[in-house]
Amino acid sequence: MIDYLLHLAIFIGLYAMLAQSLNLAAGYAGLMSLAHAGFYGVGAYTTAILSVEYGWNFWLNVPVAMLVSGSIALVVGLAALRTVDDYFIICTLGVQVIVFSIMNNWMELTRGPLGIPGIPSIGILGFTLDNKMAFLVLTVVLASLQFFLIRNVMQSSFGNVLLAASEDEIFTQSLGKNVASAKMVAFTLSAVFATIPGALYAHYVSYIDPSSFTTDESIFILAIVVIGGRKNTWGSLASAAFLVLLPEALRFLNLPNSTAANLHQIIYGLLLIAIVMRKYKRILIKTMSKDKFLSV
Amino acid sequence: MVMYIQFFINVFLFSSFNILISLSFSIIYNLTKFFHIAHAVVITLGAYFSYALYKQIELPLWFAIPAAITGATMMGMLTEIVVYRPLRKQGVTPMSMLIASIGLYTLLQNVVSILWGDDAKTIRSGEVTVGNEIFGAYITDTQFVIMFVCLLLFCLTLFFLKFTALGKAIRAVSNNPELCDIYGINANRVILGAFAIGSALGATAGILIAFDTDMTPTFGFRVLLYGTVVMIIGGVGHTKGLIWGALLLATAQHLAGYYIDSKWMEAVAYFILVAFLLWKPLGFSGKRLKKVEI
Repeated sequence: MIDYLLHLAIFIGLYAMLAQSLNLAAGYAGLMSLAHAGFYGVGAYTTAILSVEYGWNFWLNVPVAMLVSGSIALVVGLAALRTVDDYFIICTLGVQVIVFSIMNNWMELTRGPLGIPGIPSIGILGFTLDNKMAFLVLTVVLASLQFFLIRNVMQSSFGNVLLAASEDEIFTQSLGKNVASAKMVAFTLSAVFATIPGALYAHYVSYIDPSSFTTDESIFILAIVVIGGRKNTWGSLASAAFLVLLPEALRFLNLPNSTAANLHQIIYGLLLIAIVMRKYKRILIKTMSKDKFLSV
Repeated sequence: MVMYIQFFINVFLFSSFNILISLSFSIIYNLTKFFHIAHAVVITLGAYFSYALYKQIELPLWFAIPAAITGATMMGMLTEIVVYRPLRKQGVTPMSMLIASIGLYTLLQNVVSILWGDDAKTIRSGEVTVGNEIFGAYITDTQFVIMFVCLLLFCLTLFFLKFTALGKAIRAVSNNPELCDIYGINANRVILGAFAIGSALGATAGILIAFDTDMTPTFGFRVLLYGTVVMIIGGVGHTKGLIWGALLLATAQHLAGYYIDSKWMEAVAYFILVAFLLWKPLGFSGKRLKKVEI
């Protein structure tokens, strides 16, 4: 029982990190990205391949994964950031499909649908984190580190440029701020941060396959951010907890497994529609953006 | 030589699907200026309704298909009436419309999953035939009908947009909504009409694809994305550009299929999309890509 609760807590932590990193792009910079599960997968696959094939440890893998994911985001951003809004989403969706198809089809590198088994546990100062409690502590530490990093970045002058650009891009440009590069940095940072939960996930479940990094997963992460409220870091945490615990609550309905999974998606689909319908907006999201921007 | 003919047949077949899908999608997009992702479910529903009527209730085919198209069209119009119209009234951004549309897609696709299950279904009856031989290449009767129907519908839709009152109204409103408002054209009714036509075309395309290959609850999303890619590389708002876009996409994908491996065909479509956005962002036509407006 206690193991099960710890397991849920770890997953809440992972999804909170994912949501926060996406919030950097989708919330602050207004770049709704559907490629996030792809970057998450890049983190998981990089660490899996490096540790299984070459025996590297977690602390070396994460910077490498960050580098890989960051450079992909940089290249993608060059193309995608020339567009706005819906074009941007389609572009990132394309990237998601490309990354997924690499994970699913490049047999020599990723073993395709077979997945990569036997990923070792994380070692730290001679200890191995093979029990759930220790892993949860590590997740919480990394999550709070990421939380404060993002918070500080957003309160820096760079964050103010982003906030201003999301309110009025032309006006911000007229003040001599480089909006394009700020967006680029935000998108890249969000991809870089997404690799940390990816790597944690790989070491935690010790077996990964492409089915964890699908387009549906991307939509799920975006749903967490939108439901929690864009630019709202605590909201992301709350909605991650809510959406991760929801399928567990649905178990009490005694539905067959596949129906419960569908019902979960139906619920967050409904929530997404409800959020956009402004009537419900006040109940579900606290829009901090306006007040915050005025106070800066 | 035989290989080339087979190649061209496959390319034409694939392009005719894509032309129809992207046409059905772009009629709605040109008017409402947001990506109606839930259109994917309308495509899926066309196929699944005809499966339910033809295979499960065992109605005759001539009745099942029109009924399925009608059902899916109703669904498309319902999304407009229940979700999009209230949102437009509140004046939300295209971005928020897109998010609502993604939510709607997730919702409806899972309803389809619950009703019919996730495994692949087929509406073909009887055994798979080798097909007719043309210069040593093979094409089945069904594929022949599919190509014919797609091209016929494409031409009919172009005529419809050009000469009928609703078609003219659709073009007028996509061109200049404010002026149409002044002239007393009811934009909401025109948009509903466009949703009806787009959904009917999409559902038809879904049924045709289901006759050629199998269907799963998510196949509509995949084909819709191809349709979107075709629309962007063909040039938004440029109906004839869709033909060039579809032909280019199909040729590139099949070349990749022959020379590399057919499993990379999906990725190639998006490489083309990204390449176009980089070097030829306006597609084949001269229309401006959507940018931030002053």
